[in-house]
Amino acid sequence: MQARDETGAYRVSIKTAVRLVLWTFAWAATLALAKFGPGLLWDSRQPVASWVAVAVNLAVGIGWIVAFARFLRAQDEFQRKIIQDALTVALGVGWVGGFAYVVADAADLVAYDVDVAVFPALLGVVYMITILVGRLRYR
Amino acid sequence: MRNRVKDLRAERAWTQADLAQRVGVSRQAINAIETGKFDPSLPVAFRLARLFDQRIEELFFDDQ
Repeated sequence: MQARDETGAYRVSIKTAVRLVLWTFAWAATLALAKFGPGLLWDSRQPVASWVAVAVNLAVGIGWIVAFARFLRAQDEFQRKIIQDALTVALGVGWVGGFAYVVADAADLVAYDVDVAVFPALLGVVYMITILVGRLRYR
Repeated sequence: MRNRVKDLRAERAWTQADLAQRVGVSRQAINAIETGKFDPSLPVAFRLARLFDQRIEELFFDDQ
């Protein structure tokens, strides 16, 4: 977010970061709509409204992915390295932890079902912690 | 990889933020380069060399 030179790279970097934040909020809002809309905002026996909410969530999610790619491209190579390290750790934790849970569950070692929503939330938390560690390490 | 970025910057009384602005990278990137925690790409190394009026091999040294 701090790449800057006379060519205006700093402004581009800030702009892409703001857009990413806005897309993140928009995606979270559409996710909440798809989750809580049936029953709260419309009759849960209305599948058309629920499908529309899911489709909107997917469309906004694609927008979020594009915004994240643009945000990455606007970073300097060092910031990209920190983000790449964080994505690597998050993916690794998700991959290893996810499959460990699957085999533990298959072997009846897990007494309770974990909500699938915990998984992306865990990835997000791991990603944010690793970004923070990376920034502190190279302060 | 070792380098003389910190010395050359100090000679000019520039802060890390000043140098970062001139090179077009973040201040953290300059800090990481100076402390040897991060090796810059060739384009950034060339920009640094040009800015300090040095050849790349006078600015960066192989550890081996």
